[in-house]
Amino acid sequence: MLSVANVEHRQDEAIGVTSSRRVLIKAAALGALATSPLIGRLIRSGAALAAPSKAQDAKILQLVLQLEYLQVAFYEQALQQASLKGDLRDFAQTTLGHERQHLAAIKNALGAKAGPKPKFDFGQRTKSPDAFTRTAIRLEDIAVAGYNGQATNLTKGTLAAAAEIVSVEARHAAWVRAIAGEVAAPVPVDKPMTAKQLAEGLHEIGLKG
Amino acid sequence: MDGSPSFDRFLAAVDRDGAIAETRTRAEASLSRRRLLGLALVGAGASLIGSSRARAARGLAASDVSILNYALVLEYLQASFYTEAERSGALSGKTAEAARVVGATERAHVEAFRELLKSQAVKRPTFDFQGATEQQQPFLKTAVAFEDLAVAAYKGQAPKLQSNAVLAAAVGIHSVEARHAAWMRELFGITPAVHAFDKPASRASVTEIVASTHFIVAKPQLTKRRRPKYTG
Repeated sequence: MLSVANVEHRQDEAIGVTSSRRVLIKAAALGALATSPLIGRLIRSGAALAAPSKAQDAKILQLVLQLEYLQVAFYEQALQQASLKGDLRDFAQTTLGHERQHLAAIKNALGAKAGPKPKFDFGQRTKSPDAFTRTAIRLEDIAVAGYNGQATNLTKGTLAAAAEIVSVEARHAAWVRAIAGEVAAPVPVDKPMTAKQLAEGLHEIGLKG
Repeated sequence: MDGSPSFDRFLAAVDRDGAIAETRTRAEASLSRRRLLGLALVGAGASLIGSSRARAARGLAASDVSILNYALVLEYLQASFYTEAERSGALSGKTAEAARVVGATERAHVEAFRELLKSQAVKRPTFDFQGATEQQQPFLKTAVAFEDLAVAAYKGQAPKLQSNAVLAAAVGIHSVEARHAAWMRELFGITPAVHAFDKPASRASVTEIVASTHFIVAKPQLTKRRRPKYTG
């Protein structure tokens, strides 16, 4: 076993100029070194965003409302129709509970201005455990990317509230991946989606109209 | 549900902090805090704010530099923890695989922050994980606590960031830490997502929690002060 002093020294090497090749090779294999370029791109694109305002918050929340409505409907229908068992059923039930609370919070924030419940057609996506798993992974990833993409467009207060939701969506995404035996956190930085991409993603899964 | 009665003290402390409304006054009550944390994050942040009044890294606000260095220390902590666990050879199966992926990610986060901060980046502190990297169950328990803590820490800072660019990067890392937290929880056999809303933790409370672990055994220093000479 390595002594602590040894480990610390080797960590210094790994992070410094005299990088441990082993660490670098592993990181490269995982695509982890893509982090810096992505952050660079985010940083270049950050400057061009519109200034946050209460009116803009409301527009963004209307879109997020559709996302949360879709999530609730998806998990409700899957629990009835997808023959979910064991871990997958536990995941769907717990996640449904969270999505209902998210939906209530967004509705509450929008008050009387909250848009109506949309219509959905999930097709075969809620009809089998496999289809459910694939769709849940996609849906939770879309939720994370959608919320993250709006971070710089929101006022600070709304951002703080959204941040309490997005990490729970990320937990769902990792949870269902782990159940499926997949790498639960495949990238070092989650890539954001624009509002347009989020809307497209919701339609891809089953949002109508 | 969360079935581990001896569940980590610093996770418990995060939850407690979430219940208490986060107060700025607490963060500013620095006398006892500074005495308590002479060796940890606040020291690093405070000295940075002092030194960066004149010139911030890449045009970042001094407060952003301070937040980024605080995040960097958390990333150093995590990267070192996973790297040491990997090297200890104590992990097996899915846990070993997860530790390899998460470790590589945390190292990438460290690199990204150092790149962003350049000469204003704090240096890696010295850590002593007190055996937590040498057995699978203590490793998982500590990993869960670290990841949940990181999620709460990023969440606490996100609304305070001045730079949109840094904010966009920070939220992308914040959600990855949440994925890690869920993954480690699943491997540890506890519910990956307990609550519908994840609560933030203030910098003061995170710093206190980290200090309480005694995992940091030497103070992080500014690299700009003077680079130590490596003979290797």
